[in-house]
Amino acid sequence: MVKKAFRGWLGWFVFLLVLDLVIPWVVLSDVPKASGALLFWPLWALVAVISCFIHFLNWKEVD
Amino acid sequence: MTFWVWLSVGVYIALGMAVAIAARRQMGAGMNEFFLGNRQVGGFISAMTYAATTYSAFMMIGLAGLTYKSGVGALGFELTYLCGLFLVVFFGPRFWLVGRKFNYLTHAELLADRYQSKAVGVTACVLCFVFLVPYVAIQIMGIGYLLDGLSGGAIPMVAGMVIAIVLGIAWSNIAGLRSVAWTDAFQALIMICTSLAVLLVVIQTGFGGFGNFFARMNAGIPDLLTVPAGTGLWSINMFIGLALPWLFFCLSNPQVTQRLFIPGSVTAFKQMIGGFLIFGFVYTIISVLWGFAARLLVPGLESADMATPTLLAMSMVPRALALVVMIGIMAAAISTIDSILLTLSSMWARDIHRGVINPKVSAKSELAIARRWVIPIIAIVSFIFAWWAAGKTGLAFMIVPLSSAASAGLLMAVPTIIAAFFWKRATAAGALSSMIAGAVTVLVFQVSGFRPFGLWPAVWGIAVCLILFIAVSLATSPPVEKADEFIDYLREELPKRNFV
Repeated sequence: MVKKAFRGWLGWFVFLLVLDLVIPWVVLSDVPKASGALLFWPLWALVAVISCFIHFLNWKEVD
Repeated sequence: MTFWVWLSVGVYIALGMAVAIAARRQMGAGMNEFFLGNRQVGGFISAMTYAATTYSAFMMIGLAGLTYKSGVGALGFELTYLCGLFLVVFFGPRFWLVGRKFNYLTHAELLADRYQSKAVGVTACVLCFVFLVPYVAIQIMGIGYLLDGLSGGAIPMVAGMVIAIVLGIAWSNIAGLRSVAWTDAFQALIMICTSLAVLLVVIQTGFGGFGNFFARMNAGIPDLLTVPAGTGLWSINMFIGLALPWLFFCLSNPQVTQRLFIPGSVTAFKQMIGGFLIFGFVYTIISVLWGFAARLLVPGLESADMATPTLLAMSMVPRALALVVMIGIMAAAISTIDSILLTLSSMWARDIHRGVINPKVSAKSELAIARRWVIPIIAIVSFIFAWWAAGKTGLAFMIVPLSSAASAGLLMAVPTIIAAFFWKRATAAGALSSMIAGAVTVLVFQVSGFRPFGLWPAVWGIAVCLILFIAVSLATSPPVEKADEFIDYLREELPKRNFV
């Protein structure tokens, strides 16, 4: 169970890092506006932050 | 203005001292108590000390300066760090569990025990000492720039630097982690509230609102809104070279990994990560927008790291608010300085003095060495480095590249740290060879400026480090018994709490 969750976590992490490079340098490199990379990166970071919350909100105390 | 700057600094010092002394009343005895708050720190304080330790003069001075000079790539670089908190979600609980089980005080102690080699622990310590001194120096420089800029040169850089170092020594000594964490929490709240307030004031008075601000950016600095940017500064190699050490910052920096030992419960741990993520996201956006605002309002500065002090000194920023923001930034820098001083002193006392020099040292002497000798010595060395670097100009001497260079060296311990938690075949020889060769590679490439194929020192260093770690580990014998005990314990405990 832990191994499966770990693989999913690792895959998602790598996918986000690929987006971190591909979108700004390839897709948005010709968009010199605030609605380009300046908007993309905060949205991308929000997805990463929410993903972390989804993971750790499941943690529980053990007596 | 100079009088008001001095007055503000005086009030800040008095309040900080009061918080630190109040924290002392909670302090018990012993190393665990002094350096880890007896592993019983609550979620809010843990989150704030994590945030204040991580975010420092680097943000409102360094990151704002980098944005001023190079544009939106600075935002991606810093948010990549935040994405690195994925690693804390995975490794944080592992640090926390084994810290309690085996009573580790530092990550170097963890490595020495896991690999059954004192040399591994000492090497991890040496890496931290070599590469964290520049990082402390950066914080000292940040305060120097700030006071110098805000007072129009009336308060020389060196005066700000002296204040920083004296407060760092005092607050790490008064009650150890408790005084550091309490003052961090107090300072983190000031940092976030004041920086948000001043940003809103500048956007409103300087641009007439966010709509106009973004329109001015589109019209005035379009080159800075893309990567690699019109100047070509943000090549993908530069981004990776700076962001790679930042991505692993949460595992490589001992002042951060030591905080993974301190939460008192799983709930406190969750609050620490959640609180930090929210804080980090907001503070990053503020710092970057602040840098863009400075670029539009005060273009043409010779030193980009002076963007924040210059903007704060403008008449559109109410004097009282500018002073409070100055205190917020100063507080952020000092909270990082005292955290690093505290952590490095614990590493010297535990991993080098007790680990190698005098294993029979009493707990009382161990603590005294850390407090009376190690903290002041590191502080003085950092001050000298800051003094030397503060006179230099160019990208390499800006706050952000210096910070990233420091983290590039610390990155060389990351394969050893990661493997400790799940690769039983990892060996002490692999750990030693990878850390030493990786760090030497980083240092040589950093000092010489040699960048084959345009790749930065961190990339070459980690490549050398990884290859050696795997190859040498496969060729040597692992500490089977300890690896089984360590990893099997985690396998048993992790699912009980739904840790990944």
